[in-house]
Amino acid sequence: MDNNVNNDLKQYIILRFDSEQYGIDISYIDNIVRLMPITRVPHTQPYFLGVINLRGVIIPVMSMREKFDLPFKENTGATRILIIKYEGADIGVLVDEVKEVVTLNDEDVEKVTSDDVESRSYVTGVGKYNDTLISILNIPALITDVENE
Amino acid sequence: MDLSQYLEIFIDETKEHIQTLNDQVLILEAEPDNIDTVNEIFRAAHSLKGMAGTMGFKRMQRLTHDMENVFSEVRNGKINVNADIVDVVFKCLDCIEGYLANITESGDEGTEDNEDVIKVLNDVLAQSESVGSEPAAKEEKTSENQEAKSGSSDDRKKYLSIPIADFEKNAMQEAKEKGMHVYATTVYIQESCLLKAARAFLVFKGLENKGEIIKSVPSVQDIEDEKFDFDFSMFIISDKSLEEIKKIIENVSEIEEAVIEEFDIPDVVEDTTPKAEEADDKKESAKEQKSEKKDEKKTPAKSGKPVVNRSVRVDIEKLDDLMNLVSELIIAKNGLVSVTGVMAGSDQSFNEQIEYLERITTNLHESVMKVRMVPIESVVNRFPRMIRDLSKKLNKEMELIMTGEDTELDRTVIDEIGDPLMHMLRNSADHGLEDTIDRLKLGKPKVGTIRLDAYQDGNNVTIEVSDDGAGIDVEKIKAKAIERGNITEEQAEFMSDKEAVDLLFMPSFSTAEKITDVSGRGVGLDVVKNKIEGLGGDVEVSTKLGEGTTFIVRLPLTLAIIQALMVDISGEKYALPLNSIVTVEEIPSDEIKYVHTKEVINLRGTVIPIVRLNEVLDLEPVEKDPELEDDDSLIVVIVKKGDKQAGLVIDNLLGQQEIVIKPLGKFIRVPKMISGATILGNGEVALIIDSNTLV
Repeated sequence: MDNNVNNDLKQYIILRFDSEQYGIDISYIDNIVRLMPITRVPHTQPYFLGVINLRGVIIPVMSMREKFDLPFKENTGATRILIIKYEGADIGVLVDEVKEVVTLNDEDVEKVTSDDVESRSYVTGVGKYNDTLISILNIPALITDVENE
Repeated sequence: MDLSQYLEIFIDETKEHIQTLNDQVLILEAEPDNIDTVNEIFRAAHSLKGMAGTMGFKRMQRLTHDMENVFSEVRNGKINVNADIVDVVFKCLDCIEGYLANITESGDEGTEDNEDVIKVLNDVLAQSESVGSEPAAKEEKTSENQEAKSGSSDDRKKYLSIPIADFEKNAMQEAKEKGMHVYATTVYIQESCLLKAARAFLVFKGLENKGEIIKSVPSVQDIEDEKFDFDFSMFIISDKSLEEIKKIIENVSEIEEAVIEEFDIPDVVEDTTPKAEEADDKKESAKEQKSEKKDEKKTPAKSGKPVVNRSVRVDIEKLDDLMNLVSELIIAKNGLVSVTGVMAGSDQSFNEQIEYLERITTNLHESVMKVRMVPIESVVNRFPRMIRDLSKKLNKEMELIMTGEDTELDRTVIDEIGDPLMHMLRNSADHGLEDTIDRLKLGKPKVGTIRLDAYQDGNNVTIEVSDDGAGIDVEKIKAKAIERGNITEEQAEFMSDKEAVDLLFMPSFSTAEKITDVSGRGVGLDVVKNKIEGLGGDVEVSTKLGEGTTFIVRLPLTLAIIQALMVDISGEKYALPLNSIVTVEEIPSDEIKYVHTKEVINLRGTVIPIVRLNEVLDLEPVEKDPELEDDDSLIVVIVKKGDKQAGLVIDNLLGQQEIVIKPLGKFIRVPKMISGATILGNGEVALIIDSNTLV
């Protein structure tokens, strides 16, 4: 595995939803855990599934599918919860499958301009890896948006 | 020199000194001749001045300096303490607090010169000088100890006034016979020195190698604890020369001077002439010399007083960490207990060990809780001063009696409880107590009494604020509420007195006819109530017209770990805090009645509204097992908030448990009825229902 001492190289975790692939900058990821019982929280934002207990800390978990308005899908053995650390707090994101970790050169990531379609505003750019396209997620936007609602 | 690292210490210590001054000046007002109090005040004022000067807060230093001068004159008997002086001093303290607030906020004292206060202080001083002649006699009296006769150059030889025990004399005598020297010295540390104890320690350290210190005043222990002004005296036996010893002492930095001489052992030798090595003796004014002498006389007297508590200052964050770890341990313990529950009939000794563990964790939890406990004294000690000021402002005579200041509460509660208590006391002073004239007419004692009583009551701490004033006129409240449209006239008619009094806690409700500076703007009681409920407590009022009013505040001892009733609602587990639960009842469904389309039950004569928790929590009701059709009853948990009650319908009781309250995380929106979450023994998360929001 390349180390990312080089500033142009960044590591991304690749997630798959149906046919689409998304990448998250690995520096945001605190942990990836298997599915565990989620306690529902009533009257909260619709895309929040509830809270989990991760080693004594209670962490809210949101569903990526709900957030992106993708159709509902049963959890499988591949379902994972990504624990993202942002502004000192943890938030869990339920994803269908975590595929791999890739290293992308900055040149391979094409920036997306802000006037793009609304559903894509959580995407900062599109990276190319082995002929597949990866939408790079804008984690601060995704989470700050959560905060504002 | 960068002083920022000392800023925190400065702020803490200044606060302490201001509090001491407040307390002592109050005592002084009551007993103007109490010389101990005057000394205490002088000492605190002096330290304040020194610290402010060191930190470069010039305005604060100037103010404290003038204040110190006034007290110096009081001490010399040139000024008699009267109400005016006390007023000025309190004003002074307020100004200092103002500076301190600025410093706390920005590290700078601000630009307020407080010229008016300084002027008044100087006027007081000027007056005293004009009275000047007669107190001279007194002055002589105060200095009638042995150094008085030995002339001005001996004024700095404080060691001369130290009483020497016989065994010490013998030791000195013996040393002398062996050809050693006995030196007596008084070491002066620069007033700008921040680490006096450390400097003193270096002096001791340096001398240790050269001779033996047989006595020091104050004691070595007190010096290490910084319980001395800017000088200390000691007797040394050494074979080195006087110059050598003097050099060792003065080589320690920030030592101003070491006054040292070969010591005449009392009763034995008489002819060693004291060397007059100090030329700069007269630098200080006679007044200050006198004050130093007084300080010294006081030191031995003080030693009878209890020494400051043996305590360690710990960052509250460290305590929080410790508390979190204990919480973890309790969760782990709960986990073990639930596992053993599954393995029914398992090994006897294993169960015993589990029980042992359970006892230890409970004790550990209690100990950690105790560490976090702070006496409410730190909050209430500013109230006597406040009541005094209110008394002047409102022109009513009143006194505050406090009991149970040593009652302890969790640190987090202590930090929050000050303002609500202050509101209630102001309320009592302003609305509760009648004017002095009215009191006399009513045949009540002229001086109104306000009490603040704190005590522990099971898992709660109760604080009562009461007054012997007019009491609350229930009819007046009702009239006001009708006028404001809070209630209708019919409602008012059927309202119990208690319900009427509770109207006081509604936002911006005030019956005061005149709005004063103190209270009556209607801001207050609702804030008080919210704050106290936010802390998990409640507040209640009892009043008797013509006899007085009592506010009763109940607070939980601790916030982080509580006892809870675990319940099952449509298959989900929830925790209900035990402290708000009255009873659990089984109610046949046909006993549910409707009032205004709302479900109620009649429980032993009380009509209680019913809340179906599954509806509130967005859950489907459980399908009733058709085989148990005759079992048509509901489990209702009766909860209370103040004296209102509600019945919460649940599906199953799961038992009582000690739970650790945890927050739900930053980004999720949490409805008001959920006050937090807890982790169960099996690792699952259960939400905690705040029943106060449902009553």
